[in-house]
Amino acid sequence: MVHDTQTSEKIMLSWSDTTELMNLSSVDETGLKERVASLATRSIKKDSKLQALNMIVSMCDLTTLEGQDTDGKIAQMAAKAISPDPNDSSVPSVAAVCVYPGLVKTAKEAVSKSNVLVASVSSYFPSGQAPLELKIHDTKYAINNGADEIDIVINRKAFLEGDYKKVFDEIYAIKEVCGDVHLKTILEVGELGSYDNVRRASLIAMSAGSDFIKTSTGKISEGASREACCVMAKAVLDYRKVTGSIVGIKVAGGIRDAKDAIRYLVLIKEEIGEDWLDLKYFRFGASSLLNDVLRQIKKLKTGAYQDSYYFPRG
Amino acid sequence: MVEKWSYSESIESSEIVNLEKKYGHFINGSFVSPKSKKYFDTISPSTEELLSKVSFGGKEDVDSAVASAKEGFKTWTKVKPVDRSKYLFKIARLIQERSREFAVLESMDGGKPIRESRDVDIPQVSANFFYFAGWADKLELSWSNSKFKPYGVAGQIIPWNFPLLMLAWKVAPALATGNVVVLKPAETTPLTALMFAQICAEAGLPDGVFNLVTGNGETGSYIVNHKDVDKIAFTGSTVVGKQIQASLAGTGKGLTLELGGKAANIVYEDASIDQAVEGVVNGIFFNQGHVCCAGSRLLIQESIQDQFIEKLERRMQQLRVGNPLDKNTDIGAINSKQQLEKITELVESGVNDGGSIYQTECDFPGNGFWFKPTLFTNVQPAYRIAREEIFGPVLTTITFRTPEEAIEIANNTEYGLSAGIWSEKGSKILWTADRLDAGVIWSNTFNKFDPSSPFGGYKESGFGREGGRHGLLSYLKEDK
Amino acid sequence: MNEVRKTYKMYVGNSFIRSESGRTYSIELSSEIIELPQASRKDVRDAVSQAKKGYESWSSLTPYNRAQILYRLSEMIEGRKASYIELLKESGIKNNKAKKDIDEAIEILIWYAGITDKWEQLSGNLNPVAGSYLNISHQEPLGVSFIFPRDTISLKSLLLCILPPLSVGCSVISLSKNAGVLAIMLAEDLNNSDLPAGTWNILTGSYSNIIEDISKHVEIKGIGVNMDFDNKDYTIIQSNASESVKRTFSMNETLNLLSLNPFLQTKTVWHPKGK
Repeated sequence: MVHDTQTSEKIMLSWSDTTELMNLSSVDETGLKERVASLATRSIKKDSKLQALNMIVSMCDLTTLEGQDTDGKIAQMAAKAISPDPNDSSVPSVAAVCVYPGLVKTAKEAVSKSNVLVASVSSYFPSGQAPLELKIHDTKYAINNGADEIDIVINRKAFLEGDYKKVFDEIYAIKEVCGDVHLKTILEVGELGSYDNVRRASLIAMSAGSDFIKTSTGKISEGASREACCVMAKAVLDYRKVTGSIVGIKVAGGIRDAKDAIRYLVLIKEEIGEDWLDLKYFRFGASSLLNDVLRQIKKLKTGAYQDSYYFPRG
Repeated sequence: MVEKWSYSESIESSEIVNLEKKYGHFINGSFVSPKSKKYFDTISPSTEELLSKVSFGGKEDVDSAVASAKEGFKTWTKVKPVDRSKYLFKIARLIQERSREFAVLESMDGGKPIRESRDVDIPQVSANFFYFAGWADKLELSWSNSKFKPYGVAGQIIPWNFPLLMLAWKVAPALATGNVVVLKPAETTPLTALMFAQICAEAGLPDGVFNLVTGNGETGSYIVNHKDVDKIAFTGSTVVGKQIQASLAGTGKGLTLELGGKAANIVYEDASIDQAVEGVVNGIFFNQGHVCCAGSRLLIQESIQDQFIEKLERRMQQLRVGNPLDKNTDIGAINSKQQLEKITELVESGVNDGGSIYQTECDFPGNGFWFKPTLFTNVQPAYRIAREEIFGPVLTTITFRTPEEAIEIANNTEYGLSAGIWSEKGSKILWTADRLDAGVIWSNTFNKFDPSSPFGGYKESGFGREGGRHGLLSYLKEDK
Repeated sequence: MNEVRKTYKMYVGNSFIRSESGRTYSIELSSEIIELPQASRKDVRDAVSQAKKGYESWSSLTPYNRAQILYRLSEMIEGRKASYIELLKESGIKNNKAKKDIDEAIEILIWYAGITDKWEQLSGNLNPVAGSYLNISHQEPLGVSFIFPRDTISLKSLLLCILPPLSVGCSVISLSKNAGVLAIMLAEDLNNSDLPAGTWNILTGSYSNIIEDISKHVEIKGIGVNMDFDNKDYTIIQSNASESVKRTFSMNETLNLLSLNPFLQTKTVWHPKGK
């Protein structure tokens, strides 16, 4: 089956162009928080809510990144990814499953009869504390096993030491290895310390060729936030203005319920526009989120809340 | 405009509001029929439907209210300060308990979005009563070893843009400081004030301490000129403010005025651009621009003009104009037909003068008074839209090159109520703030209000302050 | 005479606890004898740990929010006025005096509730320095304070000692002996209020075994003693306090702005003004 992968007319910028872009990197935290809070007052009900919920399902990267993952676990998750609610075929498949490199092969087989993509983490996820050669090796392994998408982490060590060029060079090198394979770069916003840094990291990641920028690994206590997402979104919009290319956004880590996920969609729609309301350009890294979304869909359709045992484990 | 994902209606029900067919004045602790024998209509500006009929305050009605206030002052003077506190705390609490009702009614009568009346107006109303309640028993602390006394009867005239909030800004400090009140709400927005009068009765406020007379400018003039009113507090247009000031000449009455504005929102090239865009939008489109301190002049440093305007237009297009009771509405109805005509005329003048106009695409409901969010660029400082207060969702842009130029343009107006400064350089913000002739200056933010933060203008935007320690002086005079 | 002994508990965090030492002491009321826990050194350390958390929560609320909570507390006490008066009478206070004490206590609480969102306007200020600087002095609460209120059965006196640190954002640990029963009655209202856990912690007993721990505990930032406090013991406290440069002061129960001052530290910030 032919997968609908990203076309890769990726525009990479030179380092000097990148540094110029980074000059306008100041973000006022108070103003940012107010804007995000104001967007959260949107009341999304009825048809618009159902539409949002279906969009969210289609935008999920159903994820398992645990030491205890096995072939069996992956197979179960893949089944859920393809058919999230077996009792309701109008609920779409998710966008992708996301696994560790060692489980890519299994995942690929498990989703072979569907449009669900296989994303793999690499680059010594989640810490990224290893030399570039090893990160490249990690990435190549995943691609050779059939990964459609690669989720890497930026080098926070280099970033916080102020060596932004190193951060840029590593992403650039990994994108070269990826070729047409879709690259998501995780900024790990919870470790960057400020919104200025989130913007800076976003710009570096995009200039170096990332197809998507992603908030978090989900492995530290501070995951995605709508504030960080808003900063990234604005950076993505500015990048499109300068280069013409659309970079996608993935939010992951700590998005527990449908209500919160809908707030992300509102934020994206109003801050940067509906072009991004598509699984090609927006994803949720999800594990427990999916079930809450399914519950909400069921409630809208039937008027009653279901308990979690109505939905198959994934 | 065709959207991929549009928001369904989410209407706040108006069932919670119980409107009477007609209302009397609130004098001496109860509602009474007008001595004028006349009533006038109050309508919803978003649907033009009739909401209720309210009493017209003629000369005799005002006489009656002032007489009641005079008696009420004798009672109020004997009430212990800590008991004044308790009445005001009680009022604050009762308002909180009925906040949803107040918010819905405010949006129906005045046209502002329910999200704003619910999240800004009504919470600020109870916060104001709460804050001033806590001053009543400690006035002697407020200005060191000064000895004070209240004026007596305070005549208060308030506008239609924040009806209940403007009432709170006036009534809370007046009562806390030991004064009694005769208040006239704006002609087009009397209903939340009438509901407030019910609250006063419920709180057991002694008769005559708070009196409410509804009416129009004529009613207001009876209050202003009444010999037994000791102090006038007015918020409204500069034109009327000047008339009031003239009428009071030689009378010895206290006066505070809060008038119009044409605030400059200065965006320096080193601002955080996305947040500045947000702040500029908030500054002029909040409450449909019906705000005396609105940032109606965007002063943008030329070097970032193009980038900024592009982002601004994109952001403006996200503003949702429509039914004030829809929770997703950002911009509600224009308060009245009159105001709509005024805005329309000024905008036409801007186009005729040569300004470039941008207006967002929006669909208006059939009835009601509506205006599209509007942005003017290529404006010269001499155009009327750059000088006159429009009091609508219309932003005028003027460019500058240096900080000195920004100051000069910002101060080049008879108004001086507020200003905004956007920059990531703290020293520049402070340097700029020092040089702006404005009573309230917001840096990297806009339209922020707090009961403890004094508000009021320089120059023809008025004198006297509301809120904070300084706000007490509006209602106290020296006891010699 | 009624021989039934009822045990009351101290109030730490948001829990009612016995002393971990298990020791108690008795108070004789007119109708019963009650036992109160005798606070131990470990109790003090636990209370400080709770008070630290309480300080984080309490001081991070807006002044408006703190005002609302304290005002609500006054409403709660007003609602239980009869019970408080009864307790005072059981402790030997005459009816009229008891009623006056409770009424005044409530008015004092209202006064402090209302100062919570105003004191900074009165005690902070801009300093007119010579030079192109914005110079502002404002005051911040000390943190955890330990208070020894007077041991008289008077709600008014108790509140006059506790409310100054509380209303500016400090958290408090108080120790009362004879007045312990009154303090614990108040604790029931504190527990039902919106005061964050650990904001006001109430220990009971005599201080002789714990005075060292209290005066040397580095995380207690200020110690307030009442106007009747034994001078020799105050000297011990002051001497121990010097080890960590801890603030100590004597409270004189006056309803004024100055009552807040011992619990505050002044921060002055300079910021240049220039293009």
